Amino acid sequence: MTALLVKDLMTIQRQLKTQAFILIPMLFFSILMGQGSIVFSFILFILVIQAITALTYDELCSWDKYVNTLPITKSEIVLSKYMLSLVLMLIGLIIALPVVFLINHFTNDWETANFFLTFNLLIGAAFCLLALILPIYIKYGSIKGRIVLIVLCFIPGLLIGLLEEYFADVVITISKLQQFSYLVPFIGLFILWLSSLIATAIYKRKDF
Amino acid sequence: MNAIEIHDLHKGFEGFSLKDISFSVPQGTVMGFVGENGAGKSTTIKCMLNLLKKEYGEILLFGKDIVEYELAIKNDIGVVFDELHVPETLNATQLDKFMKRVFKTWDSNYYFERLTQFKVPKRKKVKELSRGMRMKLSIALALSHHPKLLILDEPTSGLDPIIRDEILDLFLAFMQDETHSILFSSHITSDLEKIADYITFIHNGEILFSESKDVLLYDYGIFKGTNEEISELPEQAIIQKREGTFGLEVLVLKNEISEAFTVERPTIEDIMLFFVKGSVQP
Repeated sequence: MTALLVKDLMTIQRQLKTQAFILIPMLFFSILMGQGSIVFSFILFILVIQAITALTYDELCSWDKYVNTLPITKSEIVLSKYMLSLVLMLIGLIIALPVVFLINHFTNDWETANFFLTFNLLIGAAFCLLALILPIYIKYGSIKGRIVLIVLCFIPGLLIGLLEEYFADVVITISKLQQFSYLVPFIGLFILWLSSLIATAIYKRKDF
Repeated sequence: MNAIEIHDLHKGFEGFSLKDISFSVPQGTVMGFVGENGAGKSTTIKCMLNLLKKEYGEILLFGKDIVEYELAIKNDIGVVFDELHVPETLNATQLDKFMKRVFKTWDSNYYFERLTQFKVPKRKKVKELSRGMRMKLSIALALSHHPKLLILDEPTSGLDPIIRDEILDLFLAFMQDETHSILFSSHITSDLEKIADYITFIHNGEILFSESKDVLLYDYGIFKGTNEEISELPEQAIIQKREGTFGLEVLVLKNEISEAFTVERPTIEDIMLFFVKGSVQP
């Protein structure tokens, strides 16, 4: 597992450096707007897509054909992509949180309660996004996977449209659940764990 | 003991299948695995490595089932494909960092010695290396955990004769240890004539023969003649016949015919062509 993580980090390091440069204008934008959440969301999004970048690099060189000749289990190969995302998110949070706090401190925009609500929701959303993306990319590859993902993204919009009359009630119910927002990252992690089981089962059935 | 044993391996695809393939590679020998493109060489190798799931049959490496003892077996094998399947943004030094975390027996000194020997740049990205350099890097990666068995799938295809010769020398050096074995898949038969002890020939997903190279090259002969002359050959001596440029050609067992018949020594390529394009009936 460590070997695969090291390899993925080495593979995407150039990409990460490039994206770190994009972070600079985002940081200025965030300070100007007095919105720490902008830079925070951006960092999370960038880190989530790193697992996809690593998968795309692997696909381009038929890495799976090679790595499966090495003494590494298929579960480790799949789990390494989940671990990569979690490790990067952890590093991202360590870097982003002081920045976000500083922006908030000087702009007084974000109340502490609101901050934790946003933080929990964003982390939960990032976990759910990963939980959705990784099995799709492992099953279909990066080109077909993107199409499947776009199709899947239309489903929530479609559902909202269909259930419009009930939607106001749903929003009220969710707002009542705000006090349980600290559970969201844990629910996200649980979904991520379920996703890893599905992705491993998919990968084990694949031929290379 | 056999390094590789395959019994009745079957794997079907739409329009192609491996049909109950059986052959073995004795420990300490080099098996040349030949056949034209699409004959089933790579499919067989992928099944051997459990990259493809077989439908039925048995694949034993070092006497152990590849599916059951996959990780233990993969610790003792080195694999070289016709391409280097690693991310192109990595370089040889970064690959060392990866490999030493994969294999307990990874020998970084040996790896860097091979890179120096092959003149492979250590810090150049894979995408900046020539095809020959990539293959040499691939071979260094396959050798540096000191495997007992090398599985080579067209490692010399598309390379110039000088690089091919250097690579073959490496494999010969690997074979200095008598516990080492190689399965060498190629359609460049001259490479196999240099290095192989046995030749297994696959055609349309079937094994046509698996024989010692010396038997093929020294016991077989090509007789060229007219229909009348060929009719004088003893029936049991004839292996295959085919239409040649200047008449009929017959692949014969030399010790089954009289010395009065002049026969030429065949190459592995000749024998392949007899089996693919020839027929027993004239």
